[in-house]
Order: sequence, then C-alpha cells, then structure tokens
Amino acid sequence: MNPADRYVPRRRPRTRLAVALFAIVAAVLSALAPDAGAEYGDVVINNYSDGAGMRPVVFPHWFHRVRYRCKVCHADLGFQFKAGGNQINMVKIIDGQFCGGCHNGDIAWSVENCNLCHSGKPGTLTQVHESTTSQIASPPARVTAK
Amino acid sequence: MTPLRGSSLHGRTAALALALVAAFAAPGARAQGKAVYDQACGVCHNAGIVGAPKLGDAKAWEPRIKQGVPALYAVALGGKGGMPARGGNLNLSDTQVKSAVDYIVSQAKVRATTAVASAPPAAAPAPATRTAAAVASTPAAQSPPASALPTSAAQPPAAPAATAPTDPPASSVAKFAPGPTTVAAAVPVRAPVSGAQANAFNRLLRPPAQRNLPPAEDGIHDPANDGTQLLQPPLEAFGALPRSNAGNRVDWVKALAETRIQPRVDRVDPKAEAVVMDLNIVREVKGSMPDVVYPHKQHTEWLDCSNCHPAIFVPQKGANQISMAGILLGEKCGVCHGKVAFPVSECRLCHSKPKPTAATAAPAR
Ligand code: HEC
Ligand code: HEC
Ligand code: HEC
Ligand code: HEC
Ligand code: HEC
Ligand code: HEC
Ligand code: HEC
Repeated sequence: MNPADRYVPRRRPRTRLAVALFAIVAAVLSALAPDAGAEYGDVVINNYSDGAGMRPVVFPHWFHRVRYRCKVCHADLGFQFKAGGNQINMVKIIDGQFCGGCHNGDIAWSVENCNLCHSGKPGTLTQVHESTTSQIASPPARVTAK
Repeated sequence: MTPLRGSSLHGRTAALALALVAAFAAPGARAQGKAVYDQACGVCHNAGIVGAPKLGDAKAWEPRIKQGVPALYAVALGGKGGMPARGGNLNLSDTQVKSAVDYIVSQAKVRATTAVASAPPAAAPAPATRTAAAVASTPAAQSPPASALPTSAAQPPAAPAATAPTDPPASSVAKFAPGPTTVAAAVPVRAPVSGAQANAFNRLLRPPAQRNLPPAEDGIHDPANDGTQLLQPPLEAFGALPRSNAGNRVDWVKALAETRIQPRVDRVDPKAEAVVMDLNIVREVKGSMPDVVYPHKQHTEWLDCSNCHPAIFVPQKGANQISMAGILLGEKCGVCHGKVAFPVSECRLCHSKPKPTAATAAPAR
C-alpha cells in the first residue's frame, strides 16, 4: 500500500464524509488502498529527503522515456535498475552525476528548481509505483461481528 | 452503498482508520512498521505465498516468536528458505525491516489475545503490544546479524504454482496491494458486517483506478507543493501516442516505430542512432502456455547490451533459468516488465508463439 496514506487525513476536508461513514465502512475495508493512482513507473526516491526535511523526489519514467532511451540513463549515466539503489544526493547532482547529467541548465532546467523534483508527499517510501507486487490480490478482511 | 462508490471511500476511510489507530495507540513506529510491511512483506505474508507464515496467524507465529524477536530480525534481514533477505527489497534499512517484524509480532499477539479472550476491551490489545514491540526492538537495534549479506540469501522461492494463481486479471489496474487483514486487527472498534457488504460483487478485484491522473491527484505528489502544479499531466503527452491496455496505457514499441516519439540515444547528440540487433530467442514453456519469444530488436531499440548482459542474462540461449514466479517477484524479465516496461498482465506479448501441437484446451461438451 502507499504509505503516503498516513498523511491523507491532514490534507483533505473530504475525509469528513468518510468520518460519517466510518462505523459502517470500517468493517468492510476490503482494502487499505489509497485512492492513489500513481502513473505506472513513477519512482519515489526517499533515502535522505524526509530526513533532510525535503519532500521526497518523484522521478517520472514516462516523461523521460518520451525524450530519452533507457540506455542513456541506465548505461551511459550509470543508474542501477533499483529504486533508491543509487545513493543519489545533491553534491553528486551539482557535480553532473545522475539527474545532474541533464538537469544542469543546459540540457534541461537546472537544480534551483527544487520543487519540481522534490514534489512527493512527505513520508512516501522509496519505490517504483504500480509495480507487479502492487497488483497481486491480498485476502479480504475477515472481520468478526462485535 | 454501491461497490463502486464505496470503494473510493474505503481508501480514505482506511487511511483515516489507520491514522486514528496510529494517533491513539502507537504513533510512529507502529505506523512505519505497517507501511513497510504493506510495501515489502504483504505480498507473501498476507496470503501465505510460498509457505510464508500468515500475518495474524497466531498458531504459525507462536513457535517462531518463542525463538525471540532478535532471531526473527536475523531471518528478516538475512533470509531463510523462501524468505528472501529483507523481503527481497534490499533498499530497506535495518530499522525499517525490524519495524516490519515488530508489526508482524504485534499482529500475531493481537490475534492471539482476541482468540483466547473472545471479547477484549476495545483499545487494550494495541497499547500492550506496542510496549512489547518497543521493548523487543531496543536490544537488537544496532546489531545486523552476520548473515545479513543480502545477495547471498536472496533466492527466488521455488514454488511457481503458488504465485501464478494470484496473478491479477488483465483488466485489473492501478491500485495498490492493500494489507486488509491488518486493518481488521488494527481497528479497535469492530463493527458488524452487513450481508450486503460481505457479498460485495468484487471482493478481491481492486476498483479500476482513474487512469493517468494528473500529478496533483495521483496520490504520490504533494498537491500543496507549487512545483507539482507545473508538472505535465500524463494524458497531455499520451494524447498523440498509440494506446495499449496496461501500464502507462501507451504502446511504447509502436510509438517508437511510428516515430511519434524520438527519444534520444545520446544525452547530448540528438542524431545518434541506436545499435539495434534483430535476434529472436524462443524459450519453450512447459504446459499449455504458448512459448515465449524474446525479441532482441524491440529491446535494443531502448536498451544497451550491457543493461542485460551479463548482469541479468548470460548471453547464451537457454543458459538462464527463467520462471514466472521469478518474473512476478521482479527477477529476469521482471526487472523491467512490471516496473517500467509493459506489465506482466500482458501474457500474450511474451507468450506469443503457439505450441506446434495445439495444446489449447478444447471446450468441454
Ligand atoms: C533534478 C532533480 C533535483 C533537483 C532539481 C533538486 N534535487 Fe535535491 N535531490 C534529488 C534526488 C534524486 C535526491 C536523493 C533523494 C533521496 O534519496 O532522498 C535529492 C536529495 C536531496 C537532499 C538530501 C540529500 C543531500 O544531498 O543532503 C536535500 C537536502 C536536497 N535534495 C535538497 C535540494 C534543494 C534545496 C534543491 C534546490 C536547490 C534540490 N534538492 C533540487 C533531486 C533533485
Ligand atoms: C532520464 C533517466 C532515465 C531513463 C531515460 C530511464 N530511467 Fe529507469 N530509472 C531512472 C531512475 C532515476 C531510477 C530510480 C533510481 C534510484 O532510485 O536510484 C530508475 C529506475 C528504474 C528501474 C528500477 C525500478 C525498481 O525495480 O526499483 C527500472 C527497472 C528502470 N528504471 C527501467 C527503465 C527502462 C526499461 C527504461 C526505458 C524504457 C528506463 N528505465 C528509462 C532513470 C531513468
Ligand atoms: C517472497 C516471499 C516473502 C516476502 C516478500 C517476505 N517473506 Fe518473510 N517469510 C517468507 C517465507 C516463505 C517464510 C518462512 C521461512 C521458513 O520458515 O523457512 C518467511 C518467514 C518470515 C519470518 C519468520 C522467521 C523465522 O525465523 O521463523 C519473519 C520474521 C519474516 N518472514 C519477516 C518478513 C518481513 C519483515 C518481510 C518484509 C520486509 C518479509 N518477511 C517478506 C516469505 C517472504
Ligand atoms: C538524460 C537526461 C536526464 C536525466 C538524467 C534526468 N532528467 Fe529529468 N528531465 C530531462 C529533460 C530533457 C526534461 C524536460 C526539461 C524541460 O522541460 O525543459 C526533464 C524534466 C524533468 C521533470 C519535469 C517533468 C515535467 O512534468 O515537466 C522532472 C520532475 C524531472 N525531470 C526529474 C528528474 C529527476 C528526479 C532526475 C534524477 C533522478 C532526472 N530528472 C534525471 C532530462 C533528464
Ligand atoms: C532486455 C535484455 C537484453 C538486451 C538489452 C540484450 N539481450 Fe541478448 N539476450 C537476452 C536474453 C533474455 C537472451 C536469451 C538467454 C537465454 O535464452 O537464456 C539473450 C541472448 C543473447 C545471445 C545468445 C544467443 C544464442 O543464440 O545463444 C547473444 C549473443 C546476445 N544475447 C547478444 C546481445 C547483444 C550483442 C546485445 C546488444 C546489442 C544484447 N544481447 C542485448 C536479453 C537481452
Ligand atoms: C532491462 C529491461 C528489460 C528486460 C530485462 C526485459 N525487457 Fe522486454 N522490454 C523492455 C522494454 C523497455 C520494452 C519496450 C516496450 C515497453 O516499454 O513496454 C520491451 C518490450 C518487450 C517485448 C515487445 C513487445 C511488443 O509490443 O513488441 C517483448 C515481447 C518483451 N519485451 C519480452 C521480454 C522477455 C520475454 C524478457 C525476459 C526474457 C524481457 N522482455 C526482459 C525492457 C526489458
Ligand atoms: C515479460 C514477459 C512475460 C510475460 C508478460 C508473461 N510471461 Fe510467462 N513466462 C515468461 C518466460 C520468459 C517464461 C520462462 C520460459 C522458460 O521456461 O524458459 C515464462 C513461463 C511461464 C509459464 C511456465 C511455468 C514457469 O513458471 O516457468 C507459465 C505457466 C506462464 N509463464 C504463464 C504466464 C501468464 C499466465 C502470464 C500473464 C499473466 C505470463 N506468463 C506473462 C515470460 C513472460
């Protein structure tokens, strides 16, 4: 499930509606599913961001693959196929590694645009979204009557 | 309440329920443990896949918990049998894995208490278990076991049959795998199930998410962040591209072949051309499924030889052990398919070569 869920209540007044239905609905929660529908392949990178008080980074594969083949990042720039597996930090980026290979104000907009990369909900765990594991059904809740 | 409408509320209410529980019973640690569990452990431990002890199954957990929580940490970190090191998610820190173990332990205890004393006071189990978990987690907190070398222990579980049936139907989309049982255990107040709800039309199928949502609504971007508003909504980009039935719902192979997109092959040089190799490898599949044709052409359009060889595949026909169970867990073809390239639900894109001896089942008459 999307851990960002924990943050849902404080951001939406709509949850009040849910409060009203709480007693009824709590019993049939077939899912802790957030009504999130992250785009397939979006990667949240949050090894250090939360700890540093920044929003987690959201990397959209779909947007980049319109512009680049996988090899540019995963062979030429050396990104490992592993969400969070590259120990990316800001020093590496300003030195032209990882995102900094392109986000340098020359090929693509530069690092001053913190909030374009650091755009995730606080607390979202590092992961690639909508992956196979999130598609596998889990057993429904077995709740006994009071 | 209609299932559809209800389902969108479930999510919110579930979130709320979780938040309430977190607020009253176990702030921080418990919530993290659950989040990690849902992300990395629930796939196997919710349903008992490949022999994993089920969450909340007191009988299965009791003998294990008796070994002491540090022993459980050691297995969770280092792996054992079908249990991959860190649940196969090597990104998880020691603390995260341990918090998930604490959560599992707390659930086993909650269930056990409930089973013995059939009417526990509403809020009692949670705080009790929190203390237990918190105490248990302190002594071992700093000592990763010697066996924690992740790669050595991370083997694929050897039971394809166990994972295959849990495959989602091709039409299932874009919803997270929830950890529902955990809610039942975590919510202190239990409401009765009305008959209608127990017989909801879709019990397991998660409702179709709205697809290709704009960033501010997709659940992972923070709508309160000004940068979020500047990001491109996927549908704006996908409008001109050939569609497909899964993943981004874009047929990337076709989009490229028809030059609807011209992704660069080089970081700076827009004219560099891909080194494309046209070599099909047929992998025979036991049973009724059509054989798999692995096409180098479509892959080398996007990828470099070094992306696959030798780290993922030894470049020799038949030299690699590939199974659907592994693919579902993110190995071999599953490194990309089910993550970024088209998802595993699209069986026929891979299983594309019909068997010479037509093995297709004839309809029973
Ligand atoms: C091109 C994308 C991008 C931009 C722009 C960007 N960052 Fe980052 N930043 C990252 C990534 C990726 C990480 C690693 C995230 C993680 O693992 O948590 C990171 C990590 C961090 C971290 C934690 C690690 C460290 O280096 O200390 C801080 C703090 C941070 N960024 C601050 C900023 C600030 C401030 C700005 C604007 C001046 C900024 N970032 C702009 C991509 C970006
Ligand atoms: C613009 C750069 C870029 C391009 C182009 C790109 N990727 Fe990625 N990819 C990334 C980044 C960044 C990550 C996350 C790495 C991290 O978190 O340290 C990633 C992660 C991944 C992962 C790991 C997901 C997991 O299991 O955790 C896979 C698989 C992947 N990419 C496949 C692809 C494929 C296939 C393509 C081409 C269709 C592609 N990527 C194109 C940058 C890129
Ligand atoms: C690929 C499936 C799979 C995943 C994912 C998985 N487990 Fe397991 N787990 C198993 C299996 C199978 C066993 C039983 C191992 C045995 O007893 O041989 C097990 C056993 C355990 C045990 C009991 C160990 C013991 O000594 O009896 C713990 C604790 C555990 N897992 C924790 C976790 C945690 C925490 C995660 C997530 C970070 C996780 N598991 C993810 C399959 C999995
Ligand atoms: C191979 C080059 C390359 C790399 C590496 C790269 N990007 Fe980008 N990125 C681009 C280009 C080109 C754009 C489009 C810039 C523009 O609109 O002017 C872009 C745009 C973006 C956008 C904005 C998308 C939108 O909706 O407009 C985000 C967010 C982003 N990148 C994040 C990242 C992060 C995070 C990383 C590192 C993990 C990264 N990028 C690495 C080339 C790259
Ligand atoms: C997406 C992953 C991927 C990429 C990229 C890739 N290959 Fe392969 N390659 C495979 C697979 C899978 C096999 C089949 C292995 C098997 O049957 O066990 C294979 C097999 C081979 C073989 C053995 C053929 C035989 O008949 O024994 C050679 C040679 C080869 N690849 C060369 C290349 C070259 C050269 C490139 C780059 C132009 C490349 N591969 C790119 C996945 C890939
Ligand atoms: C390194 C990443 C990677 C690996 C590993 C990989 N693929 Fe792919 N595959 C891709 C990408 C990227 C595409 C382009 C289509 C897309 O992104 O959806 C693709 C496309 C394909 C296609 C073409 C579909 C079409 O519409 O023509 C087939 C078939 C396929 N893959 C099968 C396999 C099989 C079988 C394996 C394992 C033996 C495998 N792939 C391993 C990344 C990968
Ligand atoms: C990304 C490509 C790909 C997709 C998508 C895919 N498969 Fe497979 N499948 C394979 C490969 C590769 C093998 C291993 C063939 C071999 O033994 O060499 C395999 C093997 C199998 C086997 C034989 C048993 C086993 O585990 O080896 C079955 C059954 C199977 N697949 C069913 C399915 C079903 C059902 C789907 C759709 C839900 C599906 N596959 C989707 C690539 C794929």
